Amino acid sequence: MVDDSTGRPGRAQADGASNRASSTTQILFFAVVAGLALAGVLIDDTYLRHVLILCFLWVIVAAAWDLALGYAGIFNYAQLVFFAAGAYGSGMLAAKLGVPPVIAIAAGGVLAGVVGLLVGLPCLRLRGEYVALFTFAIHLAMPPIILQTKQWGTGGNTGLLGIPPIELLGITFGPLDKLAWYYLTLAAATAAIYVIYFVVLRSRTGRAFVALRDSEAFAKSLGVSDFRYKLLAFTISAVITGIAGALYAHYTSVVTPKILGNEFFLLVMVMLAIGGIGRFPGAVLGAFIVTIANELLRSAGNYRLLLLGLAVVVTVLLLPNGIVSLQERFGRRGRRPQGAKP
Amino acid sequence: MAMHQYVEVIFGGIAQAAVYCIMAFGLSLVYGTARILNFAHGALYTTGAYIAWVLTAGYLGLPLLAAVPILIAVLFCSGVALERVIIRPLRRRPDWKMSTMMATLGLAFVLDNANLILFGPVAKPMPAFIEGTVVLFGTVISSYRLAVVAIALAIVVALELFLQSTRFGQAVRAVAQDMQGASQVGIDVNRVFAFTFGLSVVLTGIAGLLLAPIYLVSPLGGWEPFLKAFVIVVFGGLGSTRGAVIAAFILGLIEAFVVFQIGASWTMPVWLLTLLVVLMIRPQGLLGVWAN
Repeated sequence: MVDDSTGRPGRAQADGASNRASSTTQILFFAVVAGLALAGVLIDDTYLRHVLILCFLWVIVAAAWDLALGYAGIFNYAQLVFFAAGAYGSGMLAAKLGVPPVIAIAAGGVLAGVVGLLVGLPCLRLRGEYVALFTFAIHLAMPPIILQTKQWGTGGNTGLLGIPPIELLGITFGPLDKLAWYYLTLAAATAAIYVIYFVVLRSRTGRAFVALRDSEAFAKSLGVSDFRYKLLAFTISAVITGIAGALYAHYTSVVTPKILGNEFFLLVMVMLAIGGIGRFPGAVLGAFIVTIANELLRSAGNYRLLLLGLAVVVTVLLLPNGIVSLQERFGRRGRRPQGAKP
Repeated sequence: MAMHQYVEVIFGGIAQAAVYCIMAFGLSLVYGTARILNFAHGALYTTGAYIAWVLTAGYLGLPLLAAVPILIAVLFCSGVALERVIIRPLRRRPDWKMSTMMATLGLAFVLDNANLILFGPVAKPMPAFIEGTVVLFGTVISSYRLAVVAIALAIVVALELFLQSTRFGQAVRAVAQDMQGASQVGIDVNRVFAFTFGLSVVLTGIAGLLLAPIYLVSPLGGWEPFLKAFVIVVFGGLGSTRGAVIAAFILGLIEAFVVFQIGASWTMPVWLLTLLVVLMIRPQGLLGVWAN
């Protein structure tokens, strides 16, 4: 039974019908990926490619945040801290210690995972809003910490410069080589979405996340370990976000404390608000819409962030479950005549 | 460390704490009654300071005594309006906790960027309304800081009195203790929500005004005091106004010693560490109780 009044998908019960529905989703997903792969060759504009590369990178972050916030129900606001951990970790290893970028990116992911675990541990003792407060406090305290650790090579306010490009299979992914980056980030985004939505969330682990979110006491009474699964949600989400951060660092070749600024936080937040939390294509669609809208608004200067903030407030007020709820709403209306009661 | 240095550090801590106290009081009051975590509290602090600046030094040149009642009225009305327009429609949703957090965070960015567009990135200086210095236990202290402490403490005492002894204050406490029970005995819960939201906006705006001559008024200046108010509220226990007052003074003193011993830029990491330690020992804060 899917209880519409809770506004959440009843994913915990996977019956035959929903399995069939999900394999359709999977086919659709790969069709879209194939379409985008084809589009990579057709699009000849460097700027357009750049925008899509950004879309792919933000899709990873939005999906990983959706995993923790939407599916595991953890009010985690420290997502960009994991992004920064991946970016700084990988960037510093590659730029300062000369570690090959591919290994540095993996290490960045691991570092972000460790940070996720460390942030997650205290959160286990907290409830609801306390988690939001605590994680957001970590987010806000990060830039001063980066400034303080300048002597360790974080680059302080000017940022970490000269992050070397990735070298893989004899190809050098230079910052201007947009086509190579297009396919690399598309592959990374595809892998991240597949792992999050089609592997983790369909597994026992994913069902445990949803069960803990929907009814923590009940799930625990059935033997679902909140310790294990909440930490797992934090760690998985952090590792994936960290890898996106590391890729971002090597793409732009510069990391500054700006990635922890209001702008980036707001961007990802709008992606989830517009797309819809905890319902599959939501976060992904949100990431595309917001990244593209953000680029279109470049010329609006200071008004851009104002409009993004306004977009959060308005979508939360008018479109409670994001744009994916529109499809559900119309879909339900279409089916209603057949049912006995609305 | 000489005696007069101790006095200076301790007084500095008390002065900071007193202002954080009023900010945290508002945050805690709204959480205590409506269970809403207002992420726009810091942006409203800045907005309050800007409105005060426009009324006095910036454009209108009003004397402070005339500006403060206008400021309070404007802030209170905006608070009530925000509650009506943004918070109340969201309360009916099953996922209202998440929605209200997102909506208030969005609002914070709207206010910040509106302030940035209207007033520019350069910080605005605000003249102190009391000049001169006072000698206290052989230490020279600016009279402005002393006045700030006095005003802030007076506000806290007045609020406690209001909550304890007036009829409406008791209604606010009743809603904080049991929303449904309060509504059953005939208390207009929505009115209490709107009122506490308005009051909290007034309090944070007043905090903005009081600290403006010390820290200047800048568009993103609200985040740091907001984070501190956050930590204070969590330390004291979400929803407990008395806990917030006690926590504000403990943390204010810690901050003063950190600034004195290792430098101002370490304040934030030390606050975070304090928060972590507090939450590990007592996750619900000093005087907090888990809400169901």
